[in-house]
Amino acid sequence: MAADFWTSSQFKQLLDPEELNVVHPLDKERGITAEDYKLIKFHISNYIVKLAQYIKVRQRVVATAITYMRRVYTRRSMTEYNPRLVAPTCLYLAAKAEESTVQARLLAFYIKKVQSDEKYRCEIKEILEMEMKILEALNYYLVVFHPYRSLTQLLQDAGMSDSTQQTWGLVNDTYKMDLILVHPPHLIALACIYIASVQKDKENTAWFEELRVDMNVVKNIAMEILDFYDSYKLMSDENRISAAMNKLP
Amino acid sequence: MAATNQLNVEERPSWGSRSVECFEKLEQIGEGTYGQVYMAREKRTGEIVALKKIRMDNEKEGFPITAIREIKILKKLQHENVIQLKEIVTSPGRETNEQVQPVADAENNKYKGSIYMVFEYMDHDLTGLADRPGLRFTVPQIKCYMKQLLTGLHYCHVNQVLHRDIKGSNLLIDNEGNLKLADFGLARSFSNDINANLTNRVITLWYRPPELLLGATKYGPAVDMWSVGCIFAELLYGKPILPGKNEPEQLNKIFELCGTPDELIWPGVSKIPWYNKFKPTRPMKKRIRELFRHFDRHALDLLEKMLVLDPAQRISAKDALDAEYFWNDPLPCDPKSLPKYESSHEFQTKKKRQQQRQNEEIAKRQKLQHPQQHARLPPIQQSGQSHQQHWNGPGHQMNNNSQMAMTGAPSHHQYGKPRGPPAGPSRYPPGGAGGGGGGGGYYQDRGGQSGGYSNAPFPSQGRGPPPYPGNTAPSNGPRGAAGGYGAPPNYSQSGQYSGRGPNPMGGNRNQQYGWQQ
Repeated sequence: MAADFWTSSQFKQLLDPEELNVVHPLDKERGITAEDYKLIKFHISNYIVKLAQYIKVRQRVVATAITYMRRVYTRRSMTEYNPRLVAPTCLYLAAKAEESTVQARLLAFYIKKVQSDEKYRCEIKEILEMEMKILEALNYYLVVFHPYRSLTQLLQDAGMSDSTQQTWGLVNDTYKMDLILVHPPHLIALACIYIASVQKDKENTAWFEELRVDMNVVKNIAMEILDFYDSYKLMSDENRISAAMNKLP
Repeated sequence: MAATNQLNVEERPSWGSRSVECFEKLEQIGEGTYGQVYMAREKRTGEIVALKKIRMDNEKEGFPITAIREIKILKKLQHENVIQLKEIVTSPGRETNEQVQPVADAENNKYKGSIYMVFEYMDHDLTGLADRPGLRFTVPQIKCYMKQLLTGLHYCHVNQVLHRDIKGSNLLIDNEGNLKLADFGLARSFSNDINANLTNRVITLWYRPPELLLGATKYGPAVDMWSVGCIFAELLYGKPILPGKNEPEQLNKIFELCGTPDELIWPGVSKIPWYNKFKPTRPMKKRIRELFRHFDRHALDLLEKMLVLDPAQRISAKDALDAEYFWNDPLPCDPKSLPKYESSHEFQTKKKRQQQRQNEEIAKRQKLQHPQQHARLPPIQQSGQSHQQHWNGPGHQMNNNSQMAMTGAPSHHQYGKPRGPPAGPSRYPPGGAGGGGGGGGYYQDRGGQSGGYSNAPFPSQGRGPPPYPGNTAPSNGPRGAAGGYGAPPNYSQSGQYSGRGPNPMGGNRNQQYGWQQ
């Protein structure tokens, strides 16, 4: 069986966290730093979520769109691939790929509603052009494996079905980071379950041990998520975000 | 522009696509609604590939979702019985240098470049091979193809992909005897979530299952299994078994063969959208066993399980692979033991079909000399008829009511057609298709015989009749004769089409390999 995660390009191309800190030379010239990358991607992820709320697509589409965006910036510069345009385009493409097609003109319309800033405005044809560039940048790999798939089953198995909503929310938040580019989706799901069980004071050690996964990895992912929450305030500081965004053309 | 493209020719970039200039187009081998298909050679390695163009014009919504589906699915499926998408290349219609914006039509949002999918090249397709005069599949060979077809399809189904266009011309065969599913242009991922509504305008009419014809929008892998049943029967029977001209007639043919459905044998049938519209006027009995009584017992058992009206009771690919048919003598042969195309000429000789071979020789020679004059090439017909008598056996009795499909339709028309892919022995790829066998024209519906691809994953426009009727020309069958001519494909061999030109044997498939026991 080959159509699973382990034979997918997503698995083969899982990145080292260090690789994600490499700033594209063109962006470096503009004074954009690795920290700016993080901030901009965080901001753009939120932008995709907001747009998605307007056009009403499933969470899966949002997750795929954000993953596309993050994949694009592992290979392409923000200078050439303006995040303000990449965001709606990734959503546009993800909607097609996940069978929830959205019209480009609808997207262009909602962009104006979500972002008052003129810089975010875009023409339909700009979206369509960017779509081609993104397809190429993604090397036409459009399938994304998400943690959601395994989540419900795992929760049930762990006897934690009552934590579904909380865990689901945790998984949603992981897309504000690059985790999906670094870890296999089921480990991200487990890390979220781990956090949920710690918060609920549920003793789950035996269950986790039986899974025969590397618990160190799971705990490390959980720590990353918790670190992210710690820095959340700092991340969502409007001034910092606009400072980073202003470095873009 | 040339400079940027040349940069791409030499090395394969780690990311982004190469230019189509890395390939040398050899000839067009197909034409579909999608765009053209070419046989091409990779300049650097010399490898022969098939290039399928994705048409980008008329797309107000950017990259076509059908292409996205196909690419997504093909990248997901990696199996020896599924065609391999090697890569995607772009044409210099746009700049390949990403620093330059792609050219888009300011008015219409049209994207000016083109995109090609690069596939491994396959020499034949199943229908093309089956239509070769003088070629008669052996039982182990049919088992071997069926087994590969079911294995590939099972793989698709466990990976939650419906092919939705299973037919002979989409089953490609290479000279190693490997069979691969191709043309995933209509394929879709399905989830077990039954709420999703899917279109019922899929699958070429003759291979379309009753539930789709009755308008079902919730369906699953069973739709593909119906098509497999049709192909299986076709291989054994020698020609398409359900050649309907339009949807009502298709349903009627199904009912004549499989009986009429009711709530008893197909619970829920009366709730399918168009059931009342197409409800059979009189009850009919199932006649599969009667009509195909010459098939061997295990083949008949399996076929009957595939052609079950109720999709819920239809056999799955997995269970079909476990059928007695595949585990009883003669066993399916090893694909590698199958005759190669060239040697299939010899294969025929072994079958002592000398007469036929001579005819082919003549046809070939004449073809080489006068490639343009095939439409008026009558002399071979007679022998074709004698051949018919010789091999046709019980086939004629089987023609339920009207004459069966005239599959040997006048493909020669295509020679005169600017659209039609070029044909002619001199253009065959080295080691490729079309070598022996007497030139083009057997592939009546695939426009030229340049290889298995011809109409394979890329329905040639020459076929004319819409694969999904209801929209146009209802009188045309789905794999009918050289389209564009409006030639009703299912007419008898008499009349104006009796002059079958390049097909010296006569075109009826039944004649070509008659009965398999």
